[in-house]
Amino acid sequence: MTKFIFSRVAQAVPVIFIVITLTFFMVRAAPGGPFDADRAAPPEVIAALNAKYNLDAPLYEQFFSYLGDMLHGDLGPSFKYPGRSVNEMIAGGFPVTLELATYAILLAMLIGIPIGIVAALNTNTAKDYLPMSFAMLGICLPSFVLGPMLILIFGIWLEMLPVSGWGQTPGDKILPAITLGSTYAAYIARITRGGMLEILSQDYIRTARAKGLSTPRIVIVHALRGGITPVISFLGPAIAGLIAGSFVVESIFQIPGLGRFYIQAAFNRDYTMVLGTTIFFSVLIVIFNLLADLLLVWLNPRLRGGKS
Amino acid sequence: MSTAETVQVESGSSLWHDAGVRLRKNKMAMLGLIFLVFIAVVALLTPWIAPYSYEAQDLYLGATPPSAEHWLGTDTLGRDQLTRLMYGSRVSLMVGLVATTVALLIGVLWGTTAGYLGGKTDSVMMRIVDVLYALPFAIFIVLLTVIFGRSMLLLFIAIGAVEWLTMARIIRGQVLGLRRQEFVEAAISIGLTRWQIITRHLIPNALGPIIVYTTLTIPSVILLESFLSFLGLGVQAPMSSWGSLISNGVETMEEYPWLLVYPGLTLSITLFSLNFLGDGLRDALDPKASKD
Repeated sequence: MTKFIFSRVAQAVPVIFIVITLTFFMVRAAPGGPFDADRAAPPEVIAALNAKYNLDAPLYEQFFSYLGDMLHGDLGPSFKYPGRSVNEMIAGGFPVTLELATYAILLAMLIGIPIGIVAALNTNTAKDYLPMSFAMLGICLPSFVLGPMLILIFGIWLEMLPVSGWGQTPGDKILPAITLGSTYAAYIARITRGGMLEILSQDYIRTARAKGLSTPRIVIVHALRGGITPVISFLGPAIAGLIAGSFVVESIFQIPGLGRFYIQAAFNRDYTMVLGTTIFFSVLIVIFNLLADLLLVWLNPRLRGGKS
Repeated sequence: MSTAETVQVESGSSLWHDAGVRLRKNKMAMLGLIFLVFIAVVALLTPWIAPYSYEAQDLYLGATPPSAEHWLGTDTLGRDQLTRLMYGSRVSLMVGLVATTVALLIGVLWGTTAGYLGGKTDSVMMRIVDVLYALPFAIFIVLLTVIFGRSMLLLFIAIGAVEWLTMARIIRGQVLGLRRQEFVEAAISIGLTRWQIITRHLIPNALGPIIVYTTLTIPSVILLESFLSFLGLGVQAPMSSWGSLISNGVETMEEYPWLLVYPGLTLSITLFSLNFLGDGLRDALDPKASKD
């Protein structure tokens, strides 16, 4: 197990390094300087700014100093909001995004897993087709269609729920969480169904049936651990999707999260902010993939050792 | 599959004919196919059959609900919604097709080469895929559009470059299974080159999974394009795509809900159709995979 953890961590490090390098040089290769404004600043001002932000040094030196700062946890200043650092902006926005994503994934699991189990226990009956059609609907209704429609129905026509903000009015977290979570609920339902079907056809389940155990007991005690593993391996990659989804959901519901900051920074061409946030997100995704892998191995001892 | 059908199949029908029979029995897949053909034909003929020009504005008219002159209503600038939706379909479908083709070409070549050559080459090539897989691509595409501006060509390439990874993995798995088979040995024995074996023998035999996965890649590409256009990082006005129309619709949905509903429906039904068709094709081409 220790060896496995070590080799997986050793794989994650180069990926993170590649992300940082790629992002850094791509951002530096972009046409136009960070201080290009509508009204051109005098050259001496630009030179002073370049000196202040260390932009007059050779590119490789900038890269290494950026790397060095980053190892100390410093992602540099924002170019568009003087006096604010990228760290501050991430610290301000990320907790909100994290909370939103947590609600969304919890909601997705609470809905998806039971639905998948019911469908697997009733294959090729109405109890299978109906929820699976709903799952297909959830996959095919992108968040940027579902979110506005939910706002229209529950916010504007029925006036049941607030349509924007985060933690300001009671209930304003409900619609964003549903919007972000629905796709994952759908995927999780499908994956759970597939995983459970495979497990339910195993001999040890037949034995459990022969012993006369009740279906709930078989599902909970015997089948779930194996049937749920595909869901766990889905959760790692899902974090990347959740982050991308947060861009959309946060801008639809006007939530002050990191996803919205990121898109704003993209529009403002706030290079350091884009650079810092991209790296932050990437590291996060790599870490979550790693955690999902470790959890998977912990759940299924057969994966230990052997294949990398 | 029922035994009666197996008997019928015995009378000398090919894999493809067999698959066609199975596909035609799948109602959802056929409905999807019909809708896709319909929307593709409409998109193709748009310059000739669109009721208005896509730039035509009627500021005096403004936003109106669906009527006899404007079947799907008009937007705040008095532009005909049906026309914009038709032109938007062209963009969305084109992105879907072009980017999928890019993904297909890279993925199939990469996957077959890695799978066929095996050994060190294989592990190096697949390690590259693993590393790229770990990169957060939705974020990278946002980054790319920031850096290089918002061009359609870039959008095609960027999306295509993201989607080839899964394709390469699937094809490699297929080829690994195929290359030990006798017909490949036979091909080697008559002195065919590696390139000939890959293009004439291995790829045609892996065609089933390639087709299935292609059908399932198109909706994810369309979704990615709409996602970017929704965020304002994709197609720019006066051009439209489904994503940009939805994004416009959201801005004014309180007063003019039809501007959101129609593009949203078109996108969703298209995604539905492609997914059902993809599932149907998988069941038809690989009955083993769908057996419970």
